[in-house]
Amino acid sequence: MIIQDFKYALRLLAKKPGFTALTTLVMAAGIGLSVYMFSFFNTVLYKDLPFENGDSIITISGSQNGTKTESKVNILDYEAIEKSIKGLSEFGAYYNQSVNVAGRDGARRYNGVFAQENIFEITRTKPLLGREFTTAETLTGAELVVVISYDLWQNQLGGDAKVLDQNIQINSESYRVIGVMPQGYFFPNVAQLWLPLKNNLNELTREQSVSVRGIAHINSGVSLEEIDTQLSVIMTRIAVQYPETNTGIGAYATTIPGSGAGNGQGVIYSMHIVAVFILVLASINVGNLLLSRAIERGKETAIRVALGAPRSRLISQMLWESIIICCFGGVIGLLVAAWGLEISEAITATFFIDPPAFWWKFGLDAYTIKLFLAIVVGTILVTGLLPAWKNSGGDFNAVLRDGTRGALGKKAGRLNKLLVISEIFISMAVLIAASVMVYAAYKQSNYDIGANTDNTLTARVILSESDYDTDEKKVQFSQQLKSRLENGLGVESVMLASALPGDYALKTSIAIEGKEYTQNKNTSFPKVNYISIMPEALAKLGVELKQGRYFNNTDHGLDKSSVLVSESFVKANFVDESPIGKRLRVTNNDEVKWLSIIGVVENTIQGNRETKGLPTIFRPFTQLPRNQISIAIKMKADQSVVTNTLRKTLQSIDPQLPSFKIETYEQSNERYTAPILFISKLISLFGLAAAFLAASGIYGVMSNTINQRTQEIGIKRALGADEDIITKEYLMTGFKQLLWGGIPGILAGTGMGFAMSQTFGTGNFSLIIIAVTTTVFIGAIVMYATYAPTQKALQLEPSDALHYE
Amino acid sequence: MSNTLIKLENIEKVFYTEDVETHALSNITLTINKGEYVSISGPSGCGKSTLLSLLGLLDTSTNGHYQLANHDVSDISKKERARIRNMEIGFIFQSFNLISDLDVEENVDLPLTYRKDLSKEERKIMVKNALDKVDMGHRANHFPSQLSGGQQQRVAVARAIAGNPSMILADEPTGNLDSKNAAAVMALLAKLHAEGATICMVTHDPRSAEQAERTIEILDGQVVADHVKAPATKIATAVA
Repeated sequence: MIIQDFKYALRLLAKKPGFTALTTLVMAAGIGLSVYMFSFFNTVLYKDLPFENGDSIITISGSQNGTKTESKVNILDYEAIEKSIKGLSEFGAYYNQSVNVAGRDGARRYNGVFAQENIFEITRTKPLLGREFTTAETLTGAELVVVISYDLWQNQLGGDAKVLDQNIQINSESYRVIGVMPQGYFFPNVAQLWLPLKNNLNELTREQSVSVRGIAHINSGVSLEEIDTQLSVIMTRIAVQYPETNTGIGAYATTIPGSGAGNGQGVIYSMHIVAVFILVLASINVGNLLLSRAIERGKETAIRVALGAPRSRLISQMLWESIIICCFGGVIGLLVAAWGLEISEAITATFFIDPPAFWWKFGLDAYTIKLFLAIVVGTILVTGLLPAWKNSGGDFNAVLRDGTRGALGKKAGRLNKLLVISEIFISMAVLIAASVMVYAAYKQSNYDIGANTDNTLTARVILSESDYDTDEKKVQFSQQLKSRLENGLGVESVMLASALPGDYALKTSIAIEGKEYTQNKNTSFPKVNYISIMPEALAKLGVELKQGRYFNNTDHGLDKSSVLVSESFVKANFVDESPIGKRLRVTNNDEVKWLSIIGVVENTIQGNRETKGLPTIFRPFTQLPRNQISIAIKMKADQSVVTNTLRKTLQSIDPQLPSFKIETYEQSNERYTAPILFISKLISLFGLAAAFLAASGIYGVMSNTINQRTQEIGIKRALGADEDIITKEYLMTGFKQLLWGGIPGILAGTGMGFAMSQTFGTGNFSLIIIAVTTTVFIGAIVMYATYAPTQKALQLEPSDALHYE
Repeated sequence: MSNTLIKLENIEKVFYTEDVETHALSNITLTINKGEYVSISGPSGCGKSTLLSLLGLLDTSTNGHYQLANHDVSDISKKERARIRNMEIGFIFQSFNLISDLDVEENVDLPLTYRKDLSKEERKIMVKNALDKVDMGHRANHFPSQLSGGQQQRVAVARAIAGNPSMILADEPTGNLDSKNAAAVMALLAKLHAEGATICMVTHDPRSAEQAERTIEILDGQVVADHVKAPATKIATAVA
């Protein structure tokens, strides 16, 4: 019997290949897009780490004034957390730091992780060679040891089988290799070597101690929310005890992949909602097409019922069509999603210079397959059960007698309205959300970072603490590097800074002379980006001077104290008064050194484009040298020539010093906007799909409805309604449906759009403009979808309309 | 003042489908006076329903002239045709053609809502009168699906007469009814005629045709017979 029904369904589908192809493709689009979206975010944010008990590993990060900043937590705070919190076990701590490793062919920079000794035990992973750290090795003064990654072993040390107990130079100090981790092990994120975190906690004050990221296993049955509640209590208690350092400082727990979401959770939820909406939209469309087919076959069904077919049999017969369409469409969708995930792996890899996080392995994993199966079953039920139930449960006798020709049944009419309203609602919501995202991406990628990035090569170097232990040495290095580079092949000019405009910069809080601040450092002193830059570099980079003067030769000297501030700094701190000559000091260190403002420059953006509002202050590098140096080289030759010049110059000054992140200034900037551009492309694909599915769906349902009402139109015309009356009546029906679906759609869309504009700072005005434009767009679609079929029906003479079948 | 309500001159209706020309009506010339009860009969496909569609301005003729109440309506706008259908013509269809989403009262009211000169109260009275005439006042709030075929057709008659049209056009009004209900509807038409209505009915049922005072027979799109019965027969039939 089942085979008979299956064959019958196949025959019906084969009879209308156009219908079959259309419904299959719509389903493929819906299933493919949503499977892709869910799988993508699962891989990035929700996947369990691939270790034994990997599902219970969590990380503890710091927040500031309630905002999840993904910052580190003071190790003394972390110790307090460890002592008080319930529901966590196996506490560990680490922090990341780039290190220079000397090798046979020169030094290279690696991602180092300074970790407590149990870091490997937390992941239940044993070294491939050698052993882990011991507790003794984490004490100050202990022998310097390192555990290296498989890649470092292979690439830097040539895969030497006798690597254990060899000494390697890390940041110019000798470390003994005690272990090699297995291939593919980069825990907690992109680590390439692991060094003991020296933590003699008893000897430290809060100001001196390092900040770390906590890791632990969460006990089964305990939720992250419960941990967060406890963390909040503990951190509040610490803040009361140490208001000077801890006011406004909080902590929160997430999974390690989940920590990447930060405050963008709203955006991520919105993306998931969008994915579900697309699926619903596709299901509604296919459901509607199947429903209209079922209605077409109403007479046939009624005859079957009259001949004694049981309802279950009728439903199963009609379900087969849905099963075939959803399965076939689903498989196509799954293949497309798999292809999309493969491409995503390549695209997301370009977001970073380092390899992406080790769990970012996109593809058809178990989660994706399970999700796919659930979605297929869901779509079969939505697309098949409705028409099947509708058509098998009606009064077959009424269908056979058919007393009121020319009019749609009340229930069918209501269902059609509901379909149109849902389509309007969903498309409106998705389009608004997608437009906000696209607009945010457009805006971010077009922000003026404050510098001219044309034809410029950038690179970074990190001076080791041991070799460059005095400020004089750092200044000397920077001056030497600059003058040698400027005489190098293909170099037009050289600019050095602790961070270039566009890059992340050190943040600090400051106080302005004569202004009063409350005692709590974290809440009252204004935060700024704090950049050290070679005196003439600002002008060369094109950061315009607005008031006063740039740094010049008179500013050289470690004892000098001049500072340049950005326009936004002036706006925030000096209302109606000139900042020139005013003094400020940095409050993050104990030394009180007043700095005189000598000029104002245009705003620069440092790091995340969302934080573009943060003011910046600049110091001459020759007054305040730093270990991290960003180099920008204006090129007058090919990039490869200049890169070579840079490498050779560095080698000649300090062979132990590698340069890294060598790329053009534009490439470096694009990395900051690449993720949002990618996400915005993704969501605009969803937006397009939504617009297409909704437009075709709304038109399909509307024309179907009006088509089914052709006789009704004929009757009304016979009774004296002219074309205008009919057109108005139908447009009004369309308009009412637009309101029913549109108002909630606008609310949902602006809700998601608001979440996004909060994250990306696109502003409420643009949100309103987007909402209005979307409403007009969808409104036009609905009105056209009503108008065109109505006019088509009106083209028939009333006598033909009355006999329309 | 002329008593002529309908005057057709050399009416032709040709349907064009790809290469084939079908002459549904050719050279129809006839006159119908006010107050007449005319039946148009003939075999299936002879063109009688097409003729009724032309009379009811539901379709236009290919050639010829049509005068309705002394006005040439062969070449008027769609809007004007709609207005005339609304004001001057009441339709009764074989399949009742009630609108299932509207209840009985709303169905009868429907043509009246297209008139701008009627207030809601006036319409209400007209609807009530029409329903009372067909004895369906007690079902005013029922939906068509809740009524029998005969009742649905009575509602359709009420809808046709609610606006006091100049003529009633009925297309096989008993075609979907059993003999008892058919007789009731025919009696209703006879009663309306007795009250002065002009009725033009298409039927292929000889018994129904018998009731009209004038019988026009059509064959292959042409009028082949046009008989007028003695008044006595008409009244006798109506009373029966």
